[in-house]
Amino acid sequence: MRLVLERFTHNALALLAVTTLLFFMFRLMPGTPLAAFINENLNADQQQAMLEQFGLDKPMWQQYFIYLANLLQGEMGLSFFQRRSVMTILLEVLPNSVILTLTSLIIAYIFGVLAGAWLAWKRGSWIERVAVPAVLATRAAPEFWIGMVLLALLSFNAGWFPSGGASSPGQAYDSNWERIFSLDYLHHLALPVLTLALYLQGLPLLLMRSNMLEVMHEEFVTMARMKGLSEWRIVIGHAARNALLPVVTAFALGVGLSMGGNVVIETVFSWPGIGRLLVQAVSVHDYPLAQGAFLMIALVLALMNFVADLLYMVLDPRVSHGRKG
Amino acid sequence: MAERADPVAPARTGWPLLPVLRRMAAMPLKDPFAFAGVLIYLLFALVALFADQLAPIDPMEILFTKAGKLAANVPPGAEFPLGTTNLGRDIYAQLVYGTRSALAVGLSAAVIVATVGTIVGLLAGYFGGTTDAVLMRIADMALSLPFLPFVIVLTGFLGASTSNIVLAVAVLLWPSSARVIRSQVLTLRERAYVEAARVTGASAWRILFVHIAPNILPLSFVYAAIAIGWAIITEASVSFLGFGDSTSVSWGMMLQDAFTSQALSRGQYAWFVPPGICIILVVVAGFFISRGYEEVFMPRLRGR
Amino acid sequence: MILEVDNLQIHYSTRDGVARAVDGASFAVPEGRIVGLVGESGCGKTTAVRAIMGVLAENGRQAGGRVVFKGQAMDEATTRRLRWRDIAYVPQSAMSSLDPVYTVGSQLIEVLTKRGGFSRAAARARSVELFDLVGLNERRLADYPHQFSGGMRQRAAIAIALALEPSLLLADEPVTALDVIVQRQILDVLRSLQQRLKVSMVLVTHDISVVAYLCDEVVVMYAGQVVESGPVREVLARPRHPYTMGLRNAFPDLLSDALELVPIGGSPPDLREPLSGCRFVPRCPFAQPACSLDTAMSGNGAHQSACRRDSEADTLRTAALDPRTWQRSSSFAMS
Repeated sequence: MRLVLERFTHNALALLAVTTLLFFMFRLMPGTPLAAFINENLNADQQQAMLEQFGLDKPMWQQYFIYLANLLQGEMGLSFFQRRSVMTILLEVLPNSVILTLTSLIIAYIFGVLAGAWLAWKRGSWIERVAVPAVLATRAAPEFWIGMVLLALLSFNAGWFPSGGASSPGQAYDSNWERIFSLDYLHHLALPVLTLALYLQGLPLLLMRSNMLEVMHEEFVTMARMKGLSEWRIVIGHAARNALLPVVTAFALGVGLSMGGNVVIETVFSWPGIGRLLVQAVSVHDYPLAQGAFLMIALVLALMNFVADLLYMVLDPRVSHGRKG
Repeated sequence: MAERADPVAPARTGWPLLPVLRRMAAMPLKDPFAFAGVLIYLLFALVALFADQLAPIDPMEILFTKAGKLAANVPPGAEFPLGTTNLGRDIYAQLVYGTRSALAVGLSAAVIVATVGTIVGLLAGYFGGTTDAVLMRIADMALSLPFLPFVIVLTGFLGASTSNIVLAVAVLLWPSSARVIRSQVLTLRERAYVEAARVTGASAWRILFVHIAPNILPLSFVYAAIAIGWAIITEASVSFLGFGDSTSVSWGMMLQDAFTSQALSRGQYAWFVPPGICIILVVVAGFFISRGYEEVFMPRLRGR
Repeated sequence: MILEVDNLQIHYSTRDGVARAVDGASFAVPEGRIVGLVGESGCGKTTAVRAIMGVLAENGRQAGGRVVFKGQAMDEATTRRLRWRDIAYVPQSAMSSLDPVYTVGSQLIEVLTKRGGFSRAAARARSVELFDLVGLNERRLADYPHQFSGGMRQRAAIAIALALEPSLLLADEPVTALDVIVQRQILDVLRSLQQRLKVSMVLVTHDISVVAYLCDEVVVMYAGQVVESGPVREVLARPRHPYTMGLRNAFPDLLSDALELVPIGGSPPDLREPLSGCRFVPRCPFAQPACSLDTAMSGNGAHQSACRRDSEADTLRTAALDPRTWQRSSSFAMS
């Protein structure tokens, strides 16, 4: 459909703008123009390979297109300090970030939607007056600080959870899947997820609550009441169904935003994800790796923006079914 | 779509700015949460102003006990209300002086975001056409940049300074306010009194600044208040990651210091809990105030 | 009488006090007839009807009077039981009264299965019947509300209202949101349905021409009270209350004499203020000091009026035809 194509191009162009911006930013780094991809850490062969791969001896505008072409093939150069392909490194840590993000978001949104709907039900009561500012406070606290407090309390103090990393030393697994579902991994995942979920639940909660309050005043809800339908049907079947639309979109957007924001959480818990990789790469001026990590995060963001657009189109009949008669 | 009331009724004569300002100043008096928010801001402003009196110790000064040993990790007591860091610095003094950095970052970011967002929103909304298209494309691009990673890359490579952080935050936050202000301008543009002004020959700039801008003001404040909170949290996050300005004391820097010196495992709660609480207070104050102005701008119909 | 409303009082608590939206209204609906409930916005007609359905806003409550349906007093339990099964509602704007995320057909089936005990298959068959009844193509059952035109939406709303074969239909300004030609179509649909199904109806509207076209009886409301009621032809040809006389002037196409639009000066009173006597006094060209004391319905037979000067009705009516009478009315209000 035309709308799908329009949203796709819109997001793709935005991503293109970001990569272009990055291209020029890294070119402006102190040092020779080659500094973006070549470093004395790499051996002579590697340096030569990079020179050819990215056409570093060619004029700037040519380099730009070579850069884009390489990107589409997933070629982002070699990490200065690991001396391996950036793409390989990124793909190794990507699953950890994805699992962290998705698990936290799912928990946060399920809780947020239920609690938000319940709070809307409790309109005007003292519970609402206390709960809403309390939830705002969770949105006001820096994620990493929540993480620090939980780490101190539940890990160092109580010893319930490990203090960092994604696995205990000495663990060996047959496959990645086995590793991810192992108790050890989940044990390490628990605190970061708890922290993130605590921080993230505020948005779906407040959003669901305000949507429910609005929808409950809509005429079709009153009509449902006049028809004599059960309270359950009215609140869940009609009100909640309508109130959920923006929340679902927010979820998709949240995935994209979280991938970038997880930087701090991954640092607090030494969680081996893309965010932590970015921070490490920037600290040691490992330009290709930093660039690659940033672009991967930007890609996820653009992708999820597009998914959010699609979801909105699919779930709201007013958009997916055009106007007739 | 529900009809929103303009903060100011159609102005027949004179500049509606003063009535709007009066209503905005009166808002905290009606909204207890916004009032609390204003109080919190005032409190922190006073602390920042009188930091020298409240904490006569240099927050970066390494202190020694009477016996000549390094006063490291001293627990909270009479001499050091919150104890000392592992390098012998007074935590309480750091907390007090950190207020200055927080307010500076918050307010400068808020001013930039509000100004740029409002101007862009006004221009894009009123003039439409190419101006609108170009400005909104730029806004879109800013929105597709991952927020924190971008700030990290910028400060990591351009150098860690508070002004860089403020700049990065402002660059990434103005689009959301510009968008909303733009859509409000689009609505206001069609109002009868604007049409009347146009017919009587008022120039576009006059209409923009005399008639439309004052009605947009509460909205600018909504986003300014939100921006303060975002800027402070971002600065704290960036400092925590080690890309912050190491020359100035900030709450974020305190948290980074505590984290890297293993304060968590030592259970030195007095070190890392207070800065977080301060951040929460300032940001929540911003939320309350922005919610208050949202009410001024779009009053929710209660008790129909 | 299938429906009797007796001295109904509906109060809303607002920030500035209690608003008496309906303040002692009484009227009755004969079985199998269409009664028009007419008055300007804010007169309490919609509130009265919604009170009968038992769906007042959070700050509203029935403060007095009673509603009797088929001889049974309508308390909360009875209202809930009879809802839609015997008393149904046709809304003003079908667009906002239909859930936008469900197809119209599924909303129809919902009522049939959940309230009517139909099986899904039987419900589907009945939906087709109902759509046929209101003149809608059965293919439209699979469409969403926004895909319908205004007139079609109203037909769908009527179909949903008739789903469980109610004895009484409360139609709240069912054609106000439509253009004139479609209005006529929908009114015709209502009339044919009423004749076929022998449904009793209350038609709430501010438009006298609608009342003239469709209704058998008319009840005129003003400021929360009933000021005149009776057979439609009678009331419109020979109104006995000054307000009705004024209303008639506002719709010149009904009359052969008056050719100009004569509005009634002033506006309805603030319902939060305590009011006594006739509410129309400030705008009435025939008001006398005694009118502010109290009112009572009087008249012969079916045609009742709340005007104290009912005995002089014929004289007043002639004077009301003169536009100058209405220009003078504001001067009394000043004194």
